[in-house]
Amino acid sequence: MKQLTLDVKLNRKSFDLDVTFNIPEQGITALLGPSGSGKSTILRILAGLERPQYGRIINGKDVWFDSRKRISVPPQKRKVGVVFQDYALFAHLTGAQNIAYGISGHAVKEKVNHWLERLHIQEYRNRYPHQLSGGQRQRVALARAMVTEPELLLLDEPFSALDVNLRQHLRDELKSVIDETRCPVIMVTHDLNDARSLADRVAVLVNGRVHCYDDTREVFADPKSFEAAKILGWQNFLPIREFIGYCVKGTWGEVELPAEGRPDAEWVAIRSEHIRFATPTQSNSLHALVDSITDLGAVRLIKCMLPDSTPIYMQYAWDKPVPTPGSEVRLAFPLQYLRLLGRSPINWNSVKSQTVSSATGT
Amino acid sequence: MDDVALDSQPIWLTLQLATVTVSLLLIISLPIAWWLAHTKSKFKVPIEAITALPLVLPPTVLGFYLLVFMGGNGPLGQLWMSMTGHPLSFSFAGLIVASCVYSLPFVVQPLQAAFESLDRHAIEAAWTLGASRSKTFFTVIVPQARRGLLTAIVLGFAHTIGEFGVVLMVGGNIPGETQVVSIAIYEHVETLDYGAAHALSAGLIVFSFIVLFFVYGVNRRWHYGLQT
Repeated sequence: MKQLTLDVKLNRKSFDLDVTFNIPEQGITALLGPSGSGKSTILRILAGLERPQYGRIINGKDVWFDSRKRISVPPQKRKVGVVFQDYALFAHLTGAQNIAYGISGHAVKEKVNHWLERLHIQEYRNRYPHQLSGGQRQRVALARAMVTEPELLLLDEPFSALDVNLRQHLRDELKSVIDETRCPVIMVTHDLNDARSLADRVAVLVNGRVHCYDDTREVFADPKSFEAAKILGWQNFLPIREFIGYCVKGTWGEVELPAEGRPDAEWVAIRSEHIRFATPTQSNSLHALVDSITDLGAVRLIKCMLPDSTPIYMQYAWDKPVPTPGSEVRLAFPLQYLRLLGRSPINWNSVKSQTVSSATGT
Repeated sequence: MDDVALDSQPIWLTLQLATVTVSLLLIISLPIAWWLAHTKSKFKVPIEAITALPLVLPPTVLGFYLLVFMGGNGPLGQLWMSMTGHPLSFSFAGLIVASCVYSLPFVVQPLQAAFESLDRHAIEAAWTLGASRSKTFFTVIVPQARRGLLTAIVLGFAHTIGEFGVVLMVGGNIPGETQVVSIAIYEHVETLDYGAAHALSAGLIVFSFIVLFFVYGVNRRWHYGLQT
């Protein structure tokens, strides 16, 4: 299968990017990370707008960049569509003129009309960008990129400037356009919902490094590092003091693990939706005090305190009765949802195999 | 009739001078302004200061050194002499050189400001859409920078028309060669020919007003057509 290989290094005064990954040329790949993690820089490198110092970028059979062979294909020749975060529309051209900018030949009008209709913006065709709303601008920008029939579509924070209602609507629309055109997409975002609802796979970037890269479900279930887990919305981190076989201890108490401990693990982590209230005799449960309750709409977020003041957040259905702040509770930490995390990425697969080999070895 | 013929000469000379000066200045200033707007070089500040010098120097100081530079013993004067066989000072060509130096900041600065406020992403979007550098320049950069471009042209033109001190120092007062409107007015006043001085002065006022009126009108219209 055709794939995009990215293996680049870029060093700047305050920033250091070093990433290697293969992206299958189908579906949507999300680059997730905080600002300054290098995700937008990767997009710019792919578009040819920024040049890494070392490495290679190979798209199928085309070499886009190779520092050794001194190859750097300019953005004009890469057939990459880009939708910028601020849309970057041409302010002096109307919507239709913007869309027509990148194409020439006899069927320009038909192609422009097709995309105006496809994205339901026919009536704005003669308006200038400053006369359009954020959502309309985004559609013009998407149409302008798609009309050139790109081999790869790059989206930089596509929904960040839009309000919540519009966001979901445009997500659906984008999804249907992408399914229809089968154009592979790489999308930069810091919005977990964008990644979860749109992406087939996710790469989490921390300080210019890829900490995890896998199918979306897998990445959200198994972050490879403490930083990645925080980016992926994990809230509960129990600092580790020592391991005793399958058991892990801290100032907060002790819980059992699905696997043996590792020296490089510093935290036991669990997602807030996996915490439950426990019966007094349930195994893998800890005593806690309810601290506060935040209403998030569909769920309530209950903040509890373990005896050593480590906070634990749990999600609880909005329609169920909740304990009042100050009351004592027992929290269950289901074994299968516990993850060991360190500062640098831990490869969970090798953890498992290592556990197996050490178990058979001893 | 004699008076009219005599007076139209400095007008045409002035317009010629301003047109040639602005054209040359655009060619010189576009790369300078582009470089100043985008460079991170340590030479940016000194170069910026040098291009702004004509703004603050008294025209006599500028004119004096230009005269030294362009005179028979000056490097540029000698070069010109060896190339054309004519002296550069007190000639129309010398006046053009002086005007280019004198009006440089009035063309560079608006262009630099326009280039600095360009939408970088729009330029990059054009590249990713397959537009070559030159297509991008004419279809994205020029339309975006058109107000700055117009301001540069008008200020350069107007400033060249209005110069007096530098012209007097470098060009003198030779009818048909270096006698521009401002010098002609000065001479009419010196010779107490107030009628002729009035005609030229009032003409200059009306001309300047019409040009500025037009420019502000166009700028206003362009402003509304653009995202700001």
